Amino acid sequence: MTVSLTLENITAHYGKTMVLEDLNLHVGEGELVSLLGSSGCGKTTTLRLVAGFLEPTAGHIRLGDRDLTRLPSHARDIGLVFQTYALFPHLSVKDNVAFGLKQRGIATAERNKRAMDMVERVGLSGFADRYPANLSGGQRQRVALARALVIDPPLLMFDEPLSNLDAKLRVEMRVEIRRLQQANGTTALYVTHDQEEAFSISDRVAIMNKGRIMQLDTPEVLYSRPANAFVADFVGFENVIEAVATGEDGDMILAEAGGALLKLPKSHFELPGKEFLLAARADGLTVTAAPGEGLPATLGLRTYLGRAYQYVCETQAGTLTANGPLGAPLETGANAVLIPQPEQCCVLPREAL
Amino acid sequence: MKRKLHPALIAFAVLVFIFLTGPLVIIIGSSLSSSEFLEFPPQGLSLRWYENAFDISAFRRTMGTSFFLAVAGTALSMLVGVPAAYAMARYRVQLPGWLGNVFVLPVLIPEIVLGFSIMKTITTGYEVPVLPSLLIGHALLVLPYCVRVTGASLNSFDFSIEEAAVSLGCPRWKAFFIVILPNIRAGLIAAFILAFITSLNDVSISLFLTGPGVSTLPIQLLAHMEQFFDPTIASVSVVLMFITVGVMAVVERTLGLTFLTK
Amino acid sequence: MKNRLLPWGLALPAILLVAIFLGLPVIETLLTTFADPKGAFAPYIKFFNSGFRRTVLWRTMEVAVITTVLSVLIGFVTAWVVANAPAKAKSYLIIAAVFPLLTGVVVRSFAWLVILGKNGILNSLLLALGIISEPFSMLYTQGAVIVAMVYLFVPLMILTCVGVLEGIPQDLTDAAASLGATQWGVFKQVILPMAVPGLIVGAVLVFTGSFTSYATPQLLGGERQMMMGTFLHQRAMVVFDWVGASTIAAIMVVVTLATVLLMSKLARKLNPVAG
Repeated sequence: MTVSLTLENITAHYGKTMVLEDLNLHVGEGELVSLLGSSGCGKTTTLRLVAGFLEPTAGHIRLGDRDLTRLPSHARDIGLVFQTYALFPHLSVKDNVAFGLKQRGIATAERNKRAMDMVERVGLSGFADRYPANLSGGQRQRVALARALVIDPPLLMFDEPLSNLDAKLRVEMRVEIRRLQQANGTTALYVTHDQEEAFSISDRVAIMNKGRIMQLDTPEVLYSRPANAFVADFVGFENVIEAVATGEDGDMILAEAGGALLKLPKSHFELPGKEFLLAARADGLTVTAAPGEGLPATLGLRTYLGRAYQYVCETQAGTLTANGPLGAPLETGANAVLIPQPEQCCVLPREAL
Repeated sequence: MKRKLHPALIAFAVLVFIFLTGPLVIIIGSSLSSSEFLEFPPQGLSLRWYENAFDISAFRRTMGTSFFLAVAGTALSMLVGVPAAYAMARYRVQLPGWLGNVFVLPVLIPEIVLGFSIMKTITTGYEVPVLPSLLIGHALLVLPYCVRVTGASLNSFDFSIEEAAVSLGCPRWKAFFIVILPNIRAGLIAAFILAFITSLNDVSISLFLTGPGVSTLPIQLLAHMEQFFDPTIASVSVVLMFITVGVMAVVERTLGLTFLTK
Repeated sequence: MKNRLLPWGLALPAILLVAIFLGLPVIETLLTTFADPKGAFAPYIKFFNSGFRRTVLWRTMEVAVITTVLSVLIGFVTAWVVANAPAKAKSYLIIAAVFPLLTGVVVRSFAWLVILGKNGILNSLLLALGIISEPFSMLYTQGAVIVAMVYLFVPLMILTCVGVLEGIPQDLTDAAASLGATQWGVFKQVILPMAVPGLIVGAVLVFTGSFTSYATPQLLGGERQMMMGTFLHQRAMVVFDWVGASTIAAIMVVVTLATVLLMSKLARKLNPVAG
């Protein structure tokens, strides 16, 4: 049974503070969508609303053709994996996994069989009679996963499920989560603050800020074509330069920025207007010794990155970060030009941030 | 953890809180009575029983003794208890685990047994005078509070700041006073207050250790009750209650009351 | 070498205080009971052969058990309301629970003397309501002692239980709800089992406290409702039968320690978190 999750015009408050503002989100059947953002952006609030631990002040939550908005938590039928795992310390692994089945009135024999099958599926056979206190972090995570999966929920939700694990286990477990989610074809909502985690595991990612979704897209689109300055900054475009289009030259756009004339290939950029922002990663601005065609800069501090040198550059457009080739390190105080690399740059509309 | 409460549960809790506060209200009310007998509600209001309480020299004297014991006993107990708590938190590896249990013995052994035994062995056996015996009894009685409450704040203490102080040239003994003590202030105050109140209200230990001429206020109250049944007792009780209120106000100011549920 | 002795040096004064002024006297009390010229166990044989003494022990047990059961029930239910009350109400309720706790045993027992006495408030109330036709004394009954003891220990139980309930992470109850447990299901399957070890600890405090109490049975039970604490005092300070008093003391120590040890073992068994 695969269904989709829809949030319509959701507004939520904590006391008098608005934490979510007119939020709309659609998670398709069998799709895994991540909510990504720093703490306080509203991602966990969204998840708790869907779980029924909070009530929205306005809007509707639908799962398939069921309206969840006013349904109590225990009647929502959602598999939830907590950041703290929230395993019942007084129950064994098997009983933890069987907990949801017991609530559904499933007979003991059947319940135990299904729980044991699930314990095996997450690779914990042999640990069924242990208590959570005697498990490692990774094992607890697997129990939490098994407990959410065994009730065969139409929707799975994850609240920062990997943040208490070490780096190696994190990678291992996110592959595991993705594998189990895809094998069951379960619709899933995943909350995290870790960009790499969100991008690697999701079909689509919603980047959130201050209770709003700033952009909802596939990881590929988010990474290369952010829709606004917030998302651009979030996915690592360190430099944002104000620019004005001045004309065209064949298949190049001519633009004035930081007191220099830049040529941008039409094939890569679609200008949002005459005045726009050019966003570039450090790799997207190549430092070359002056003179040359590009943004004039005076070089400051140089650091070694292994694959390149990175320079702090003073330009008319402000202080920028740019990389230069390993072969020819340039000295502090040298004059240089910064040449935009279209693949590592994007254009954004000018707007109040 | 907020759940909707059934009205019957709320009604039950209201009754319980009436049960808890009612008797104290009754004592306050009857202490203000103008008549010769304990009655509630009082027929007329007066402060004569408060005057009477302070007129009776036995109450004045025993209140002094009680205060002295609470302050000196707690101070003595802190003096030996805080270093012990520090040693147990700081040198967890070197000291055996059972040591902590030694300092809980005074609450594990029934108070009344402790009082009787001290009277028999220390006061009578070694002929230690009444006041020092009482002091020792009270110091013992409150030792668990001093060690445990101080220990609780030391257990969550990051001893690397002590090492930082030493690395900056501060001698160890001095670091204890200028780095550690200020940072466990809340625990020290809590320990002192709990110990103080416990000592002030103690009956079972003092019961055996009070002697001719030296008694504590709770014991004097008990003795008075056996002979007289007038509002004086109520007014002395109210004075004790207000001392408690004062102490609680200090607790609330410095620590908040939630620490009492921990 | 110096460093190895330092921890012991710091702990030594406290150890000495306990060893000399608690260890020595209590051991001497216990030894007294075995040094009787009539035989090692003579004082105990005497104790258990006396119907009166057995009654005192039995009565004390009975009062302590009833007090414990009532205090735990009342305390837990009230704590549930307190823990789930709005923040502001909660802080007032905690103050209302702490205040009696900090008021002395004598004062609190005295209050019940005023309430339950022949000319007391309860009698006046019942008379005024026409429920009874002439005042009767409720004092010096087992009921009076139990009421006053429950009054003594309920605040302690409320505070203990509020602590226990607030120590249960909200994630756990949320998780149970998300897995389909109703409110009652969450209570029965998660909150109660997790609270039991804490409840046992509280119950032990109430039991040992009421088993060894003195002031309350003295004031509200008097000679008629002699309990172990008052009996010990009477033997020691009125009759000066120190062997007899020591025997009572020894029985109290054994009962207290046995309760604490057995119950903490039980609490640990029911608490896989610690294991």
